Amino acid sequence: MKNDFYRWTRDLHLYFGLFVSPFILVFAASVFFLNHGKVTAPGWGAPETFRDLRIPEGIAQLQGRESVDSAREILPQVRLTGEIAFVRVLRKEQHLVIAVAKPRFEATVDVDLTSESGVVSTRTTGWWEALAYLHKSPGPHNVDIRGNWFWTRAWGLLADTTIYLTLFISITGVYLWYVIRAERRVGLWLLGAGAASFFGIIYAVVR
Amino acid sequence: MPLSAKATVELWNRRMHFYLGLFFLVFLWLFSLTGLLLNHGKWAVAQAANHRREMRYEQPIQPPAGSSEMERARDVMRQLGLVGEIDWPAAPPQPGRMEFNVSRPSDASQVRVDLVQSRASVQHFENSRLAAVRIFHTFSGSRFNTSGSRRDWMLTSVWVFSMDALAAALIVMVLGSYYMWYRLKAKRRLGVIVLTGGVVSCGVFLTGLL
Repeated sequence: MKNDFYRWTRDLHLYFGLFVSPFILVFAASVFFLNHGKVTAPGWGAPETFRDLRIPEGIAQLQGRESVDSAREILPQVRLTGEIAFVRVLRKEQHLVIAVAKPRFEATVDVDLTSESGVVSTRTTGWWEALAYLHKSPGPHNVDIRGNWFWTRAWGLLADTTIYLTLFISITGVYLWYVIRAERRVGLWLLGAGAASFFGIIYAVVR
Repeated sequence: MPLSAKATVELWNRRMHFYLGLFFLVFLWLFSLTGLLLNHGKWAVAQAANHRREMRYEQPIQPPAGSSEMERARDVMRQLGLVGEIDWPAAPPQPGRMEFNVSRPSDASQVRVDLVQSRASVQHFENSRLAAVRIFHTFSGSRFNTSGSRRDWMLTSVWVFSMDALAAALIVMVLGSYYMWYRLKAKRRLGVIVLTGGVVSCGVFLTGLL
């Protein structure tokens, strides 16, 4: 019985770990860019103009998720897909600005509501920025509109899965270490040293 | 009997896997749990963390000393009893004024100094404990898409070092685990299937083909 539990734990630790390992590598590698990287001069491509757009009725009066859902009807007309980061209405100028992003790609659509035309500017980001984008997605900002693109929701689900599996792997890892009697002393010392370092730094920062 | 070189590598690879895991366990839990909070802003626990206490006050100060803006800002902070990472507003201040923000996970302040009147106005925010814990996830003092932002507080650098160390440890643990798995012949076939599933589902997003 005990051996069965040990074997199951070891196998689940292994297979869940293998599945989640590429995600852990993405999250870990992107930390270095998030902490030390800089995008100095983002290069935007030449703007492209689209005419005769079908503008959803009353879009300038909508807010929040409704505004994003309406703006999404414009994206296929300007050949764009991706997560809408925000929609900004410039009432005085009768313009609508839609920011769109996905891994390795950013775009802004400047829609002239009067002439029903749109100017699209795009930018291809580097690999490090793509990693950072995924690391921060879906993220804490604009909660009401976030996840307005299917693939952002799918990534969010995978990011959550990564977290739950990481917690599972860490807990089973502690168990798998604990059953090795010869490693208990060193392991306990390291566990204590890690916890002491963690709480020491936290205390120093917030005191 | 002494171990062969290969056996020694295997032993230490295995040891490093759980030694690093044990040392960084609490760090890993912090980033995992705060990652959930950051991605689920509608959860009640995440919304509870948004509450913070605000205070405003004004205080006379001595003319700030120092040969650079940073040194003068540090002098103002010393006089006001503030500590943390300095963040400069995007727009340059008006003549005779000095403006900057100070933040750390537990609190943040917007400091506006009238250099002519030698008077500082401070808008101070006290974060809840839960908010402070969540902020540690993103507390690096630097933004990759803001060219002027850089770390200027030693404790931020210490925290960033620990984030880097955790990331490096995770990479070492993952790569070491591939080797340990590969040595288990009976587990190779299912392992390849599971790993391929992970690589494909992650790679689809990474290549930006969507």
